[in-house]
Amino acid sequence: MKRKNKCLSKIILYLLLVILTILAFAPILWMTVSAFKPEGEIASYPPTWIPEHPTLSNFSYVLGTFNFLRWTLNSFLAAIIATIIVILIDSMAAFSFARFHFKGNALLYATVLSMLMVPIQVTIIPLYLMFAHVHLLNTITSLILPTTGNVTGVFILRNFFRSVPQDLIDAARIDGAGYFRIWWTIMLPIARPSISAVAIITFISNWTNFLWPLVSVNSDASRTLPVGIAEFFGGQSGVSGSAPQYGPAMAAALMATIPAIVIFLLLQRYFVKGITMTGIKG
Amino acid sequence: MKKNLKISMVPYIFLIPYLFAFITFRFGPSIAGFFVSLTSWNIIGTPKFIGLSNYIELFNDPSFITSLINTLYFMVLTVPALIVLGLLIALLVDQNLKGRTVTRTFVFMPYVIMSTVVGVIWMWIFDTHFGILNYYLSLLGIKPIAWLSSVHWAMPAVAITTIWWTVGFNMILFLAGLQDIPEELKEAARIDGASNWQIFWNVTFPLLRPTTVVVLMLTLINSFEVFDQVYVMTGGGPSMATLTVIQYMYFQAFQYFRLGYGSAVAYVVFAFLIILVLVERQLLKKVGES
Repeated sequence: MKRKNKCLSKIILYLLLVILTILAFAPILWMTVSAFKPEGEIASYPPTWIPEHPTLSNFSYVLGTFNFLRWTLNSFLAAIIATIIVILIDSMAAFSFARFHFKGNALLYATVLSMLMVPIQVTIIPLYLMFAHVHLLNTITSLILPTTGNVTGVFILRNFFRSVPQDLIDAARIDGAGYFRIWWTIMLPIARPSISAVAIITFISNWTNFLWPLVSVNSDASRTLPVGIAEFFGGQSGVSGSAPQYGPAMAAALMATIPAIVIFLLLQRYFVKGITMTGIKG
Repeated sequence: MKKNLKISMVPYIFLIPYLFAFITFRFGPSIAGFFVSLTSWNIIGTPKFIGLSNYIELFNDPSFITSLINTLYFMVLTVPALIVLGLLIALLVDQNLKGRTVTRTFVFMPYVIMSTVVGVIWMWIFDTHFGILNYYLSLLGIKPIAWLSSVHWAMPAVAITTIWWTVGFNMILFLAGLQDIPEELKEAARIDGASNWQIFWNVTFPLLRPTTVVVLMLTLINSFEVFDQVYVMTGGGPSMATLTVIQYMYFQAFQYFRLGYGSAVAYVVFAFLIILVLVERQLLKKVGES
């Protein structure tokens, strides 16, 4: 009897697993399927999960009508440059916080951490005024710089650097290495897993960042992918009552999603690590 | 002496680049925002100091009150669901089942999709006439629901979207918490004859408390700051039914160019978050003591 019960509960658990997977994946699959449907088919009733006449016309429409590649390039450039800067300056600061005794260490670090409590939205208006003042609105620079003041990178790397054995640093000191060399040739290489985690979090949060790019950029030339998609495929189209152009919207959505999903599948380990180490979104 | 001085400069030199960025782009603006909120500031004109007038106006502003109530409603719809589902899914994929890692991957996957894309995908799913959701509901005999254009359904629709998008994030955090619990403890309870249910309530759940506190706090904060999905899916409509506080800040500051007033909204959000965190701490302390 007991064995039978156990078997039954196993079946229920597997069933839940399958249902969950389907529910989680269905919207992504539906976006993908819809992206390949021609204009006449997308609104066909009942809906079909396999396109009858698969087409690439939605993709060519998006690429031909919008500056989609430009948006992608902007997003990518901003995210990659921000990530490189963050890793360099955060690891330097984390090294300093973790391994040096100096006046103000605890106070400075506490000040840095205190910003975890302050919502990033509070900074948007002052940042806008600041970038307007130095005439840097509508530039890629304005998309990169605010990310470099992040807190999580310093937090993760400081925790890691504290766990590095002092012997390693002492040995290098005896060999005559300066602190800059120790940072570059010892600390950075052994922190690789943590640095990968910081890199991925920084990249993805910049890649998906919405409010600040929406505010700081209003020229198509510097627009990022999330903003481009929101402005051209969101809101208006569905509400206006005219036949919504969901085919192109789904094609754009798919193209914007594939890079993130590929990066995620390849580097899932670091992703999860980054999230669990900080418990913080981006 | 000279050597000493040089050594003592090293840590500061390492800090300088980061501190410059931190102060200029994070710390400074966070403080400056408060001073902006004490002014009347249009983008072109010069700022005028008006004390707390913005705050006084804010709490007499029916639209702001609406946005506050909407945001709280959104939190009621999403936070409990995100916590309970996040925990249940984590418990499920923590079981020794084949394929659990696949489920884990798929449940987390939506989280890496950018917010505006998530919004666009679900607008299509929620479409009144051609949406796939209404089609499946019609098979159950339910009449088409005007999800995003009805005052009653717009917020629940945004909430469903948000739950789908972020539940995987909570799952990962709970999973990490579960895996920190020593297997021996559960094993010992099992030998003592405890049922799975008893083990969960008396061993797993209490030990998961620190994780739960963190997840709850993050979920509360993130739902209070909801903006992207709403901006894309409903734009705050229909007739302000989904207008949220951050969106109100955005409207005031960047559509009506009332930068001081918008800053006041941002600071009220900040104050609410602090209250929220303090209340959560107190409540959990009480629960812990009883």
